[in-house]
Amino acid sequence: MPRRSPSVAAPSRGVGDLAQARFRAGLRVGIGVAALGFALAPPLARLVRSWPLRSAVAGGSMRPTLEPGDWLLVDPRAYAARRPRPSDLVAVPDPTEPARWLVKRVVDLDADGWLELRGDNPDESTDSRIFGTVDPQSVIGRPWARYWPPHRLGLVR
Amino acid sequence: MLRERIAAVARPRHTVHAHCDIPCGIYDPHGAEIGARTVARMVELINQNLGDDPNQRNQFMRCVAIKEQHAEIVKHEVRVIWGDYFKPEHVEKYPHLHDLVWRIMKQAGKCKQTVDAQAAADLQALVKEFADIFWETKGGRPQA
Repeated sequence: MPRRSPSVAAPSRGVGDLAQARFRAGLRVGIGVAALGFALAPPLARLVRSWPLRSAVAGGSMRPTLEPGDWLLVDPRAYAARRPRPSDLVAVPDPTEPARWLVKRVVDLDADGWLELRGDNPDESTDSRIFGTVDPQSVIGRPWARYWPPHRLGLVR
Repeated sequence: MLRERIAAVARPRHTVHAHCDIPCGIYDPHGAEIGARTVARMVELINQNLGDDPNQRNQFMRCVAIKEQHAEIVKHEVRVIWGDYFKPEHVEKYPHLHDLVWRIMKQAGKCKQTVDAQAAADLQALVKEFADIFWETKGGRPQA
């Protein structure tokens, strides 16, 4: 107090206010960054997790949702927490040729909870009408984003 | 270098097939069109009045047999596409489709019974109309 008093009264009061104002501003920025981080964390985490499963679409059975040549991110853990349900997109091994992956839509579950799959373009799709229902345990992941071509970038559902 | 690195990170490592095996996507009215063209060509050859020696008579008989056979091929091919490929929404869009198929059946019969060039030309025209509808539902005839 004695050390501060020699200076003029008004500015000395100002220094304390300024420090406080700076602290508040800093707090606000900090909270903002944290909030942004919280908001962005789940999609970023998903992006990082699913980045390894980059898949190109071949064939037209999922038109108009997916076009041949689309590049997709497939989240391999999407169905760890919950089982696929009707209207979900799934990537699954072809039951008749497991080395090959298919992308189809779940349209129904049978009595045992197995997945009835259908192409969005059913006129030109080989799906559960041919190979029957599919074991939900076999699902590879959920296609959730298209990152190529750029003009069709975005979420897929 | 950088671009290659980026491309390496972005490029898909897997293929997911939105696939279609049999029994879909294998329909093609080409067989019916070829059949109708063959019928017309056989009618043309038959009407050339080949002659009486055994070889020519053999040739004549073959033309008649092939005409009969290919008229049947037309009927078969059209029936398969009509019955298996076309869906109710197609018929809604092309209300004369059933009648067209029916007329093709009749016309192919007429081509079996006669050696009428006009009848064969009519069959070709009807089959072409049928093929045009098919390709319209497919979003366009593939370029040859």
